[in-house]
Amino acid sequence: MAEISFPLPDLGEGLIEATVLEWLVAPGDQVERNQPLVEVETTKSAVELPSPQAGKVVRIHGGPGDKINVGEPLIVFEVPDNTAGIVGTVPKEEAPKRRVRLSAVLDED
Amino acid sequence: MSDVLLESEPSMDNRSPRHGVEQLSMQQALNLALDEVLAENSKALIFGEDCGRLGGVFRVTDGLRAKYGNGRVFDTPLAESGILGMAVGLAMAGFHPIPEVQFDGFAYPAINQIVCQIARMNYRSRGILPMPITLRVPSFGGIRAPEHHGESLEALFAHVPGLKVASPSNPHEAYHLLKYAATRPDPVIFMEPKSRYWQKGEVHFDSADATSPPDGSSPGGGSPTGAKVMREGRHLTLVAWGAMVARCLQVAGLAAEDGIDIEVLDLRWLKPIDEAALEASVRKTRRAVVVHEAPLTSGLGAEVAQLITRSCFDTLKAPVERVTGFDVPYPSGDLEDEYIPNIDRILFGIQRVLEYRRG
Repeated sequence: MAEISFPLPDLGEGLIEATVLEWLVAPGDQVERNQPLVEVETTKSAVELPSPQAGKVVRIHGGPGDKINVGEPLIVFEVPDNTAGIVGTVPKEEAPKRRVRLSAVLDED
Repeated sequence: MSDVLLESEPSMDNRSPRHGVEQLSMQQALNLALDEVLAENSKALIFGEDCGRLGGVFRVTDGLRAKYGNGRVFDTPLAESGILGMAVGLAMAGFHPIPEVQFDGFAYPAINQIVCQIARMNYRSRGILPMPITLRVPSFGGIRAPEHHGESLEALFAHVPGLKVASPSNPHEAYHLLKYAATRPDPVIFMEPKSRYWQKGEVHFDSADATSPPDGSSPGGGSPTGAKVMREGRHLTLVAWGAMVARCLQVAGLAAEDGIDIEVLDLRWLKPIDEAALEASVRKTRRAVVVHEAPLTSGLGAEVAQLITRSCFDTLKAPVERVTGFDVPYPSGDLEDEYIPNIDRILFGIQRVLEYRRG
């Protein structure tokens, strides 16, 4: 397993920090990509940050009211080694499903 | 056409330092192939965005920087034109670059280097400056990634004289095709189907000929230089490459339930195309459907259809059918499911061919 840290991104143009309002996930949670992680407030607005990736939450940084600087760690995920860092979703191997059936009279000439 | 066919090297089957059979994912098989290429060829270099410290966003170069050092496996700036421009210079200086473009959609900024330099330098220099470059391009869709992270560029690359284009369909093919490509004197665009990176399969190290299609059917023949029959059949040939091969093997399994015996031909090399294999298969089955993810219009399916028609016109029972993506920008996210040919669309294509009657 690999740990991947996600730093607080710049949420506007040139914002330097944000204040944590409420965490929507907790350590131990399995999160999906784009799932809301945390609500933070900047000098411009309050926003929910979507998860940049799927993984298990290992650590979160800052409690409600705490200020976090842009670029400092916000959350750390644990992901399997073979999917660490990927963009997108590992496809599931599913049994083939069909609705179409073939019908043909094959003349074997 | 024969003068541009890939040269067959019977001896290369024994080149692998490994023996026997291992169960590997495609990313592991590719990693192993790169590891062996670096070990065997001190001029081989791997570079690209996140290829070094991170080991690649798909982990294909994982551990190689630690093993071979930052001088041979290294990260580059986010500048695809620069990555490929550097590959040109390194190749001119005698190196064997194996650059990576992180996603196929990122290849567009590098098209000038690929088309105007890599593809032409050998020709321009009258053979003095060959370009032994293997460009790895994680390709096609299937992982619900954002825009620019899923494309299907094979027709674009195949259209450029001077480039060769390959795409593996399973871990065994990935290992042998990459090792082969990385030892060629010519530039090869190596299109790795990113949706197949994680599926495991048997890699037979002792023979590039052996294979184990994901549906467990019998191994086909062939060498790493041409197309390969992945499943034998009598009634119709499905021609595919990359990720679509596994889907066509699923379709063949379902068609068998309906009494239709389908042959699946994995093209493997999209430039040059193995015309003899197409002819041999379709002369037997007398029907053909080409399947690809790329849009229909001017896709490689048209090229395949013409090659089949030319060699098998007198025996064909129906016009060659194409089942492809739509003529729209490659969609991102969940829309992929509507775009990429699915099992039902392929079955419909097969049914159209089966129903066709002359006159």
